[in-house]
Amino acid sequence: MTHLLPRRLAVPLAACLLAVCCLAAAHARADLLDDVKKKGEIVIGTEAAFPPFEFVEDGKIVGYSADLLELVMKDLPGVKVRRLDIPWQGILPGLAAGKFDYIVTSVTATKERSERYALSLPIADATVALLVKADSAIKTPDDAAGKTVASQTGSAQLQALKGLDEKLKSAGKGLGQIREYVGFDEAYADLAAGRVDAVAQSFPNLADAVKKRPDTFRIITPPFGPKVYFSWAARKDADSKSLAAFFDAGLKKLNESGKMKELQVKWFGFEMPVPADALPEPVQ
Amino acid sequence: MDLGLIIGSLPALARGAAMTLFVSLTAIALGLVLGMLLSFARMSENRWLSAAARFYISALRGIPILVLLLMVFYLLPAVGLEAPPLVAAIAALTLNTAAFQAEIYRGGFAVIPPGQIEAARVLGLGETRIKTRILIPQVIWLVTPALVNEIIVLLKNSSLVSVIAVTELMRVSQQLVSKTYKPTEVYLAACLLYVLMNLCLSALGSRLRRRIGGASAGGRP
Repeated sequence: MTHLLPRRLAVPLAACLLAVCCLAAAHARADLLDDVKKKGEIVIGTEAAFPPFEFVEDGKIVGYSADLLELVMKDLPGVKVRRLDIPWQGILPGLAAGKFDYIVTSVTATKERSERYALSLPIADATVALLVKADSAIKTPDDAAGKTVASQTGSAQLQALKGLDEKLKSAGKGLGQIREYVGFDEAYADLAAGRVDAVAQSFPNLADAVKKRPDTFRIITPPFGPKVYFSWAARKDADSKSLAAFFDAGLKKLNESGKMKELQVKWFGFEMPVPADALPEPVQ
Repeated sequence: MDLGLIIGSLPALARGAAMTLFVSLTAIALGLVLGMLLSFARMSENRWLSAAARFYISALRGIPILVLLLMVFYLLPAVGLEAPPLVAAIAALTLNTAAFQAEIYRGGFAVIPPGQIEAARVLGLGETRIKTRILIPQVIWLVTPALVNEIIVLLKNSSLVSVIAVTELMRVSQQLVSKTYKPTEVYLAACLLYVLMNLCLSALGSRLRRRIGGASAGGRP
């Protein structure tokens, strides 16, 4: 058997590893929730470009999730919320790297994510539908065969769109092209400009887009993707366990008291019942 | 074209522009110090020091700012250093601009006639005083146009720091677009603000150059 590492490299490497471990150990403390209470501040990551869930108005992050968060944080008096706005692609990596204590942004619950992160109880329905121009010839998801459809890089909506592509392919003809965007706004803009034929996005967001520009956009109903939910997220380690449990308890209370429904009507214009006791096992 | 939307967005955009200016100008100022030190190291007679500076300059000029930003933001915590977004953004931009500024200053030092330094030595001035009283003031005057250029480049590059959660002009524009679904108006307004900031900076640079030039008139080649 050959050695994978020359000996003269192995020793310094081992020393480096040891040093990193020591640093990591020096960082360990009671747990994250205690830490947050002690510091009096919690750092929360958000992609504030996802109306009506989270967006910016007059320099403040507002929306459905901001209202939910405010109510949940009432159970943690004295703790200030520092909510950072960052593009979607930086949200989960930032959480993993310890840049945020918790994620309050609409994270679509997928199998892969629930294996890696501690996803919260569902906050909304995230089932994916297609958005088209008001005068488009597309009437059902199947009409998208051969067309150019857009979604966001690294999103679960993109996964669902790829699923639709597979389904259409097995029926004969797949999508013409799938185009990926950094944010959904660029995708909407290109849809309005006629550069793409449809955008795949979660139903509640599309409802907002259509409400704002009813003469430009139209939603293709019913949604095509499997039933999925939006969650918030924590790191999946012992350190974050009690913090994740704190948010789950808060969401459960809001869901059961009917406050969550009230906020859904306020921000989306309709109710979307979501389970209050557990996040259903993601199917994809 | 919705002019009302542009006007209504101006306060938010102005706040973003203020952050853009703060991040870029802080990085330029820190980069001035680091870049000056680097250019001295690069010109040093010590072979190792000079090689190290040369390596830093080549390496940092070769890393795209976006990559550098993400590296500073995500890699530092892995080695136990915690940098909040604003600090990470300024650090990454400083590391980048220092490399470019070092080369700008080196170019400036190269055109100062060596006779001046020899004359100063003959008059008994120490090396530090030669640097601070004779070389650096002339170099700053000489390189102002190139420096203004670098400030403008950096100010535009600062539009990338939104990827590590610093809400500057670009991110504010994106937020406005996602709220209003009207990219044309918002990005046009952002574009005008960037141009306006750069015009002001370049006018300021010209004034500064005239002032330094005026204060030491006669000594100019």
